[in-house]
Amino acid sequence: MNTTSPLERVLRGIAITLVILFFMFPIFWIVLMSFQTNATILQVPPSIFFEPTLQNYRGLITGQLVTDTSSLEIKFMGNLFNSLFLSTTSVAVGLVLGVPAAYAFARLKFRGSEDIAFTLLSFRFAPPLLVLLPLTIYFQQLGLANTYGGLIWVYQLIVLPLILWIVRGYFEDIPADIEYAYRIAGHRWWTTFRKIALPLAGPGIAAAALLAFIFAWNNFIFALVLASADKQPVTVGALAFITASGVQYGQIAAGIILSIAPTFALALYAQRYLVEGLSLGAVKG
Amino acid sequence: MYDKENKLIDSFTAGRMSRRELFRGLGALGLSTSAAAVLVNASATRALAQNGFDWKKHEGTTVRLLLNQHPYTDAMLANLENFKELTGMDVQYDVFPEDVYFDKVTAALSSGSSEYDAFMTGAYMTWTYGPAGWVEDLNEWITDDSKTNPDYNWEDMLEGVRKSCAWSGVPGAPIGSEDAKQWCIPLAYEQNNLTYNQRIFDANNLSVPTNIDELLDTAAAAKAVMDGGYGIGVRGSRSWATIHPGFLSGYTNFDQVDLTVGDDGMLSAAMNTDVSKEYHRKWVEMIQESGAPDWSTHTWYQVGTDVGAGKSAMMFDADILGYFMNGGDNAEAGNLAFSAFAANPAASAPTPNIWIWSMAMSKFSQKKDAAWYFLQWVTGPEHDLFGAREMDLVNPARASVWADEMFRDKLSAKYPGYVQMHDVSAPGASIKFTPQPLFFDLTTEWAQTLQKMVANETPVDEGLDMLAESVNRQLGEAGLH
Repeated sequence: MNTTSPLERVLRGIAITLVILFFMFPIFWIVLMSFQTNATILQVPPSIFFEPTLQNYRGLITGQLVTDTSSLEIKFMGNLFNSLFLSTTSVAVGLVLGVPAAYAFARLKFRGSEDIAFTLLSFRFAPPLLVLLPLTIYFQQLGLANTYGGLIWVYQLIVLPLILWIVRGYFEDIPADIEYAYRIAGHRWWTTFRKIALPLAGPGIAAAALLAFIFAWNNFIFALVLASADKQPVTVGALAFITASGVQYGQIAAGIILSIAPTFALALYAQRYLVEGLSLGAVKG
Repeated sequence: MYDKENKLIDSFTAGRMSRRELFRGLGALGLSTSAAAVLVNASATRALAQNGFDWKKHEGTTVRLLLNQHPYTDAMLANLENFKELTGMDVQYDVFPEDVYFDKVTAALSSGSSEYDAFMTGAYMTWTYGPAGWVEDLNEWITDDSKTNPDYNWEDMLEGVRKSCAWSGVPGAPIGSEDAKQWCIPLAYEQNNLTYNQRIFDANNLSVPTNIDELLDTAAAAKAVMDGGYGIGVRGSRSWATIHPGFLSGYTNFDQVDLTVGDDGMLSAAMNTDVSKEYHRKWVEMIQESGAPDWSTHTWYQVGTDVGAGKSAMMFDADILGYFMNGGDNAEAGNLAFSAFAANPAASAPTPNIWIWSMAMSKFSQKKDAAWYFLQWVTGPEHDLFGAREMDLVNPARASVWADEMFRDKLSAKYPGYVQMHDVSAPGASIKFTPQPLFFDLTTEWAQTLQKMVANETPVDEGLDMLAESVNRQLGEAGLH
């Protein structure tokens, strides 16, 4: 039986609307900015009414940034591709390495297991700047500097601890008895992992992968220091719109919209797994 | 392939044709203005190739550059094919946005990377890079006739600018001294003067201020007539970059310095003198009364954007920032004008502090002689003239380019007062800070103190005494006080 009064429903609706407006207004404003020229964005006072233009998106996609005083080549789409490639590949590698490792830490008891797991977690504690200088030197000696392979490797510092610790918690929540029963039926360990543990941990793995993707996508410093201009992700590329001869606010806004689109779409698609995965993984029985 | 074009250009170079006729002729041959400009410069490059210097010595060598995204870089890249043709060398480059550029430079140099042979830098940065052994003293190449072409004309570089890129590495020693090392070579530089909105000034009968008191009055009067805008833009973020433009230029005009150097070579803070306190009081009052409401967040970008959008009536900042804001799709494009500014009514001329975008050579480069070929070309008179005439290489660092009528006409046509402003203030233009290794830390603290004064958290006198005490303590900890 619904005991909510009409007044309460109205008040709740107003409250929800206000909260949504509060959080969505910056995004809404950025969307509006992305369809304006610099002149209309900077007019005093600002106005919500303007003649929309696609020139910002056109500039980003065609790679020609028209600044106040010159025309400059912008490799924004290249940056976008780099972000997609680096984040996707890093997460894929992280999953291949992290999921079996998480299972091992959850199910197998061996000497030093906690120490190793904690060491991996500590990668998340260390500020990137602390490790970047030695990494730069090693990368140059190993020939990994300025390579996608090197970047994907160093991105494991971001994605591997996340995947490992989230998925580990999830494996621990799956009753071991289910796996024992399957193995008693004559199945090998690997088959049990593949057929029982992995499907049951699916939402947790999806949640970990999504979070790791977002963290990898947002990373800035590794590619900046370890790679040349043609391998920079969108987080570095977006700064190209802030130039000595002026700030291209419209193109920044369009760049933001384009760069959040992949993670936004992924998050929308996987939000069910995200909430389910994280909440189940967090609750201990 | 370009026979007809080359004949036209050679006629122009020989003085048989005007510039307008040349471009009309090239246009008839289907060339855009920018392509025509590069071809015109190809003619100058051919002349350079005839000066007896072995330009092909490093033919086939590739040098790698680390560059900041900037109009100076645009000029460099637009003319790059001519360098390649002149030398037979290849040039590869990475261009990074300015926001992260120096992080990239620092990482490359501090790791001893040989990836980049040469890079763009500011002169202040070489106070760190030089003593750390990350960059070469370029005197070795400049003074070597076998490595430097006879038309390079080093003395043609404006003296204050050239010397501002040289320092002995001894804390407190003056820039450009006899024993100074030439850590970098200027590409172009910016002075700090007034850029004002002529439209607003004319409409409201405002006069261009000529000293600090008039500046305060005019800024206040401008604010009163600005609908939602403010009177004067100056930087205010918690950064060394807040101190170095207008603020220090005015400060120096009162014969004030940041540090004094004792007979024993020890440094002492000098920003708490009576004259300095009076100047600070006026500066703080100006911001409180007529500055941007969010002044404490203002950097180069906000100060420039606001004057370009008509949100501020004037700014006391880099002249080239005003130059950029006077063009493009800025609302006030074409309305900005320029004026040299001496804050001290008793001063004979302005004393602008300057920022210099320059080129330095990495100590870790494996191809230093080849890199020098690029450096002497990109800082040479031929490229400087091309950049100034055809691109936005302002302010060029060479006297010969400033004497060029075509360049002066271009400026005068679109940037009222710019040439006069430059001519008046260039003789007094140089870096006014005392070179020492704590430069960035101490100037950032200075900016922080200014913020507190403007926010009325600290009285000016007390704030400057505390700043001086802190500066002396930090210098003492570094063994410099």
